[in-house]
Amino acid sequence: MMVLFGNTQQNNEGKTNLNLSAENMDKNIGKNILENEETFKKIFNRSSDIMFREIKIQGKTKLILIYVDGMVNTDIVISNILEPLMYAGLPQGLGAVDSVSEMLEQDRFTVLQTKKVSSVNDISESILKGNLALFIDGESIALLADVKKIETRSIQESSLEPALRGSRESFTENLRTNTTLIRRIIASPNLKVEELKIGKLTRTDVAVVYIEGVASISVLDEVVNRIKKIQMDGVLESGIIEESIEENHFSPFPQIMNSERPDVVAAGLIEGRVAILTNGSPVALVAPMTFWGGVQAPDDYHQRFLFVTMIRWVRYIFTIFSVLLPSLYIALTNFHPEMVPPNLMLNIAALRERAPFPTMIELLLMEFMFEGLQEAGIRLPKQIGPLVSIVGALVIGESAVSAGIISAPIVIVVSAAGIASFIIPRYSFGFPLRMLRFPLLILSGIFGLLGTAIGICTIFIHLLHLHSFGTPYLSPVAPLNKRGLKDVLLRWPRRLAKNERDQP
Amino acid sequence: MMRTAKLCLLFLLPLWLTTGCWNLKEPDQLSFVTGNGLDLTEDGKLEASTLVVVPTGVAGGGQISGGGKKESFHVISATGANVTEAIVKIQAKLSRVVFQGHRDIVLVGQKLAKQGMGETFDPFIRNAQSHIVSLVFVVKNGNPKDVFSNEPMFEPNISIALEKEQKALGFKPYLSREFIADVMSDGIQPLLPAVSLNSTKHFSYSGFAILNKDDGVKLVGFLNRKDSYYAAWMTDRLTSLTLTSFVPKGDGNVSLRLEKLGRRIRVKKVDERIQISVHLKGEGTIMENNTNLDPSKRKDLLLIQDELSHKTQKSVQLLVKKVQKKYKIDIFGFGESVHQQYPQKWKTLKKNWTKIFPTVDVSVKVDLQINDPGITNSSLNKP
Repeated sequence: MMVLFGNTQQNNEGKTNLNLSAENMDKNIGKNILENEETFKKIFNRSSDIMFREIKIQGKTKLILIYVDGMVNTDIVISNILEPLMYAGLPQGLGAVDSVSEMLEQDRFTVLQTKKVSSVNDISESILKGNLALFIDGESIALLADVKKIETRSIQESSLEPALRGSRESFTENLRTNTTLIRRIIASPNLKVEELKIGKLTRTDVAVVYIEGVASISVLDEVVNRIKKIQMDGVLESGIIEESIEENHFSPFPQIMNSERPDVVAAGLIEGRVAILTNGSPVALVAPMTFWGGVQAPDDYHQRFLFVTMIRWVRYIFTIFSVLLPSLYIALTNFHPEMVPPNLMLNIAALRERAPFPTMIELLLMEFMFEGLQEAGIRLPKQIGPLVSIVGALVIGESAVSAGIISAPIVIVVSAAGIASFIIPRYSFGFPLRMLRFPLLILSGIFGLLGTAIGICTIFIHLLHLHSFGTPYLSPVAPLNKRGLKDVLLRWPRRLAKNERDQP
Repeated sequence: MMRTAKLCLLFLLPLWLTTGCWNLKEPDQLSFVTGNGLDLTEDGKLEASTLVVVPTGVAGGGQISGGGKKESFHVISATGANVTEAIVKIQAKLSRVVFQGHRDIVLVGQKLAKQGMGETFDPFIRNAQSHIVSLVFVVKNGNPKDVFSNEPMFEPNISIALEKEQKALGFKPYLSREFIADVMSDGIQPLLPAVSLNSTKHFSYSGFAILNKDDGVKLVGFLNRKDSYYAAWMTDRLTSLTLTSFVPKGDGNVSLRLEKLGRRIRVKKVDERIQISVHLKGEGTIMENNTNLDPSKRKDLLLIQDELSHKTQKSVQLLVKKVQKKYKIDIFGFGESVHQQYPQKWKTLKKNWTKIFPTVDVSVKVDLQINDPGITNSSLNKP
């Protein structure tokens, strides 16, 4: 994985030469088919999966097919390329044909998508993407035929963003499938899919999807420019793009929304956002993102608005809980016990009686344990997963308390804060909240409520300072946009919402 | 990044110097005081007692400690020149820091109240840690220590029990901040709830203690239980009241539970003399009917209503007379009403209010309304 972070060319000792055939790459192919074959044999040497196949039309004109075995559809190659070439013959005889490639393209490969290319670089890249290259003796071009057949996963239900109501589809690893999924929802010619290639080695296809006339041009330009600037050997996942193009790398808050769901991406596009799809990753990026987008669930707009409004408030309160609960607990019990109702304080004091550690150590220990369990739960094979939850529940729930290592309120506080961070619909948005608990906890453990206040202020200052592609992170609350508040404080009923795009 | 980190450190540094910071106290470093008692010993020394909660004894702790049930509270007392000195002595008997932030109750012994409790109350106002929402009680015929040693039936200790009992009896909680406000204002004298101890040292709630704030907040006397209710009604400190009265025309008793209580005090100036009319209103349900009247009939209902109103009116009138003649201090807060309705006039009146009050003409009117005659129409033993 180190290849993703460092430049491989910096340290060549002990490694195979990456640029072995670089001198050939920028050239165009020549007319001599044998030289061309030699060039590509050099480029693809020691690659057993790249097939070179020679055939002759009517025993005279030499052709060479180059393709990657396993990436092309053999049936199509046989029926649409080999058969017409081998058996159909040439109607007027070879002498009557000016250009074999012209003839093949227009007369023989009529059902295929073909392209004439002469750059060595383009040809080799095309071959590696699963196309078939056809070289003809005496012509300085290669005919590229699209006969790809790449094994893909079928469309499945989203595991990261489940929703009770709405589409069950989620993106797959195939870029084309993903763009199709979006186009199926937005069947408008204004939906544009611009393709870029990034990554020196991986040459990953990246599609920037937007609706013309709806998406902000400045955001779009910014997105495209930033993607183009990515200088990296390998782009394996959209997370790499996300990290490379976001504005503030040190912020714990994600500035680009990610989603597995075509309907979420489509909704974002309709709202004027720009989506970035990456080949090989089922996670699409949507920019710009705001804080409030992080706490909105995919089916918020498909459920009854009263219910959603209530649930949204539950989410807001739990968002606050997940960050503040441990620090408030420590600040109140250790620094301001008079602020806790007497009976509650007495119970807390009673339950703390046997605890050997200070509250702060208890909380840190428990939080640490909780995060560990969570990570273990993700990494473990599915068969062992339940084991972790059972052991975890026993360890942090019952035993730690009855053994007198941890006091019972700590378990309540930590688990409540943990559950609160799971209620946030965007998993990646729960991370900053989980993370910020620790600094806040330490601040409150040292300075009491004053420390909590300083911590909250710092977080808010940071949030106010944060932008996502020019959009303030806390908008529409700060800066205030009263119309936008309808979707933050409430889920405004559709009937009352005026949709400007209703009239053409 | 380094700059930001340095800035953060710079901002955090002054926090260490801020007063009040680093006052970290784990709950197991504190001894929670839920009640404070003040009284005089036999030889006239000030004695402070505290009701300290033992956390392992209260709910939740018992499960962990296992074994026999621990006591949930302890009463510790010490004498001193003033309250603070006594508390310092109490601290010497405890392994944990005395923490007054959860004090629910302040009990003042009758002896101290008689001598005047004005001075001794100072630390309860001055100290920032002191809870101004705790309740103040006077212990009739007894010592706060003895009240504190009572083990109540439901609550872990007596201070919580007294607090809840006040509510259960239909009184609004009389917080120490209201007591302080009453002492500080001109037109009202404080009425403190009283707790009495019977011969077996068991506590019971018993009426109000009358204090004279113009004379060092000295105890003047006690109102009996019935009068206490009327006094509370007149000072708007009552939420519910049950009246039982004999109805001669029906030859039996009727009990009425009043849930909606209202009072209005009107001040009139007639020839520079102050006239006060008190109008008490109450709405409620018949709880018991031992008469041969049928409350479902309008005529009988009105009869009961009038009779009860009349009886209550008489009792209240008697109470006002008694207070005017016997105690001669304004426990009803008429002075405050004058203050509010004639602010200019009050300026001249307030100095002499103690002298004027016993001579003020007070008329009382009580209107009771029966909203619900009850489920059955008449008693079982109908002739």
